[in-house]
Amino acid sequence: MSEESGFSRHGDNTFIAEFSEAEREVLINLAGQIIELLSERADHADEDPLAAMVGITTHDSPPDDEVLLRLLPNAYADGVDAAEFRRYTESVLRNKKKSHAMAMRVLLKSASDGAIELDHENAQAWLGAINDIRLALGVRLKVEERSHDELELLAPDDPLRGVYAVYTWLGWLQGSLLKALMDDSANEVN
Amino acid sequence: MVDTKSKIEEEIQAIFSTDKPWVTIVWDDPVNLMSYVTYVLMELFGYSKERANELMLKVHNEGKAVVSTGSREEMEHDVARLHEFGLWATVRHGDQVS
Repeated sequence: MSEESGFSRHGDNTFIAEFSEAEREVLINLAGQIIELLSERADHADEDPLAAMVGITTHDSPPDDEVLLRLLPNAYADGVDAAEFRRYTESVLRNKKKSHAMAMRVLLKSASDGAIELDHENAQAWLGAINDIRLALGVRLKVEERSHDELELLAPDDPLRGVYAVYTWLGWLQGSLLKALMDDSANEVN
Repeated sequence: MVDTKSKIEEEIQAIFSTDKPWVTIVWDDPVNLMSYVTYVLMELFGYSKERANELMLKVHNEGKAVVSTGSREEMEHDVARLHEFGLWATVRHGDQVS
């Protein structure tokens, strides 16, 4: 990110940022991993094509994988209600999350100089995609259990140290986009 | 005819019923940025920045907050949209809320 600038708003509905080649590669890679993870959960087309066509999934139990469970959580505390809701909605949710990550990935791939320009719709997709990546990394880092200090003091040779660095950078990046967007909505009200 | 009549009576009863039957709850999550939760509540529900911020703080401080009330179908729609943006949300029958 060019010297702690992050996203800024240009005009009414444009949000711009510049990424270094390393940052761009990290984002493309992470968005790709989210797409892959969600695709692994996708239904097998040969199971029930008619049900798949109308968005009904064959999944009605929550994912075993912790990351997928955080991305596709239960909507009810009650298991029966949760399963029913999941059967009718999970494939739509998966596709929406995939489309957010894909929107981010496509834009980054086409911006070989690292200059990104988002309209309002793309900004929303990026917010969702960055958030999904943070949720996924958060599960791996066990942020539920570990304190901030504990994560800050990870040993230099701990592989999670790099993950934590990306996690905090993404939080900062998302924060800059939110700040730019909120300034925008404040202006709309006035 | 009988079915229509009882359906109308049901509707009228629902209109005059004071208890909101279903609620959408957002739960605290250590990952989601506070400003992000506020922004999502503003965007999805059209809440003012003040109202959305108030609800976000309730989630943060008390562990959860009711963010919308209405019919079961409406709440399921709200939860689906909240899940799309990564907020941890559930639907509950209103009388179960403590």
